Amino acid sequence: MNPQQGRASTNGYSRRRVDTMTGSKMENKMQPKKSASPNFAGKITGPSRDRLIYVLSFLIGHHVEVHVKNGSIISGIFHATNADRDFEIVLKMAQVVKDASMREQKSSRDNITTPQLMIVPTRELVQLLAKDVSLDEFTKGHSNEKGKDLLIDSVISHSHHLETERELTPWIPDEDDPECPELENIFDGTLDRNWDQFEANAALFGVKSTFNEEIYTTKLERGPQMKEREKVASRIVREIEGQEAHDFHQAEERGFNFHDDLDEESRYSSVCRESNDTRFRETENTCNSEIFSGSVGVVTSKSYPEPSSTEVCSEVQALQNETLASSTSSSLDEDKYLHTDKDLGIYPVSDCNHQASDRITQRSPPLDGESRLDSNQKDQSDKIENIVQDSRASEGGFEGLSANGTLCNPSSSSQGDITNEPSDSQVLVNVSTAIKSVASRVRPGSSSNHVPADSAPNQPGLSPSSSSGSLSSEKSTLNVNAKEFKLNPNAKSFTPSTSARPQAEVSDGSFYYPNNVASLQPMHGLPVGMGVAPFGHQPVFYNPHAPPMQSSQAYIHPNGSMYGQQMIVGQPPQFYYVQGYPPEMQHKGRKY
Amino acid sequence: MEGSVGEELAVGCVLSLRTTLNDEIEGQIVAYDRPSNILVIQEGSSKAGARRNVRLLKANYIKDFTFLKKAEDPLDVDKCFIDLAGLQAREDAALRQAEIEAERIGVGVTSEAQSIFDALSKTLPVHWDKTVIVVMNEVRVSSPYLPENVTGGTPAANDRVKKVLELERKRLQARNSSQV
Repeated sequence: MNPQQGRASTNGYSRRRVDTMTGSKMENKMQPKKSASPNFAGKITGPSRDRLIYVLSFLIGHHVEVHVKNGSIISGIFHATNADRDFEIVLKMAQVVKDASMREQKSSRDNITTPQLMIVPTRELVQLLAKDVSLDEFTKGHSNEKGKDLLIDSVISHSHHLETERELTPWIPDEDDPECPELENIFDGTLDRNWDQFEANAALFGVKSTFNEEIYTTKLERGPQMKEREKVASRIVREIEGQEAHDFHQAEERGFNFHDDLDEESRYSSVCRESNDTRFRETENTCNSEIFSGSVGVVTSKSYPEPSSTEVCSEVQALQNETLASSTSSSLDEDKYLHTDKDLGIYPVSDCNHQASDRITQRSPPLDGESRLDSNQKDQSDKIENIVQDSRASEGGFEGLSANGTLCNPSSSSQGDITNEPSDSQVLVNVSTAIKSVASRVRPGSSSNHVPADSAPNQPGLSPSSSSGSLSSEKSTLNVNAKEFKLNPNAKSFTPSTSARPQAEVSDGSFYYPNNVASLQPMHGLPVGMGVAPFGHQPVFYNPHAPPMQSSQAYIHPNGSMYGQQMIVGQPPQFYYVQGYPPEMQHKGRKY
Repeated sequence: MEGSVGEELAVGCVLSLRTTLNDEIEGQIVAYDRPSNILVIQEGSSKAGARRNVRLLKANYIKDFTFLKKAEDPLDVDKCFIDLAGLQAREDAALRQAEIEAERIGVGVTSEAQSIFDALSKTLPVHWDKTVIVVMNEVRVSSPYLPENVTGGTPAANDRVKKVLELERKRLQARNSSQV
């Protein structure tokens, strides 16, 4: 049976007929006729015929299967039918899908024919089957036709033979899958695993880990007193963490939830633009204690002759409480201000005044270890501000702590903003003088971080009580001989040249000393651990030739931010300082 | 068939019938046109938005049928519209699609070759040139579609096609052996 017949004329005729029929169908649609009867034009009309024609027209463009008399099935796109006569089916791109005459039912494997136009005469027609006709469209017409204009990927990529809808059943895990961990417990066993990734790596790939913890953190002196120190440290930690925190982020971390009225956004995601407090509180934790352990350690030790951290702790707490209570006169001794080395980085930020003074105090000592601001003022945010400003200026690069903020930001570039507006000018003056005195002792140099002296919202609760003259004493009361201070010759303390911002000298760019590391010696007796980082092809190192700054503040790359700080502050056995040419410049022989 | 006489009034009835070709159909009558003796049946459940099969069956091929139940007219006459333009567009799209698919099928090639072609087409642009698979317009794979038959193209492309071909062959073998 070969239904294909070259009846081009009939095709065209049929097509037109169908179109006409559809047109007329629409006209006739609303005319109910009881029975099919030929109208005057010879066309048979009637409701049932109308329906038939409607259905047929509806299927135009659909993939259909035509079953023919001998059992074969032809599949193609329904194109037209001769509705006036016998309803011959015209299919485009049709193929015989199942040929009844074939004994073996190979799925179109060996009898692939090119798709062609096929016409099925009526007498052969048994059935026309259109699969997956959308019901909505069927009853409501083509109101949903718009949806079809959007071709979704599956429509484009899949053939029409695929099912478009599937029965979805809920997934039931297999019985033999008990290892599925509950989501909550998924990490429970992590720490218990007897699997060390580093070992595995070394075994599998021969990759040796070169991780040295001490590069990244303060070197712990594991000695016989380790336990003691640990205990002390954990006690301090507990005390600190148990303190009430004003910053609600901190509070939440510590478990105090006193800001329940804030919505989630303010709690977790929005930028806090409140008082300086907040800002610095949040950044305080970024302090690396080691940054300060050198200098500040010095400071602390110097300033705080008392060795017991507990004491300090409690004193600090007392400090805080006082501040909180906004007690007027907090003649807090400097001793109370600073913790010991370990806790340096974490200054419980409260309304910091005294802490600010602490900072100031801290700052000065590192400078020379001498000037110790008698900044008992505490409550003087203004003073502090100035102090901070000036000292900052002088110290250049010394991490500025806002009057309020315990900003122990290791990166010298960061500017702890002093946001406290001096409220008391008088105090200010004193402070300034005090600061200046400090400044004088500070190694003169360009200040890298000049604290913006403006905009400091008055610290609430600060009472300008403290002795105005307290800052005037320039005499350093730092106890240089505090036993806590251990000047570690290998300390990260990097002393760049004349100023904290040695850029001044090297700002023009390449500062290149070709001689290699080995020749580097501690400059000026100052322990400067410097190593040359063989960078690219060119070992570059920086030769400080100025009175070194004792601050172990984060060293500012003299060339600015050429490629970020390559300095490892901490206790690096080698101090990598790269400056000079950017790496690209050293590429030789690579011609692009 | 006598039953067909009454079916004109039975739009909406649900029938179960059997054709002379031994097809069993169960569905609802949509229309019956006596002059042409065509019965339009709509199969499938009545979920909203469901897709059903629609059959146009010549009534004289009905061997027997069973009246199941009477339901209402599936067609709402007032809401039946035909969007000619949409129809035309749909037909054109379908034709295009069919042509594309036809391109993918090689004429006169073994089914194995067709499988290989299909597998290659997943990741590479391929088309048929008689019985030769042309990959990326450069590399030609001729019968029997073994890695040795890969010719042409840059060495890189050639190697890539070879690799993919080997992989696909392996996969096909594994699949076939598991099926057999």
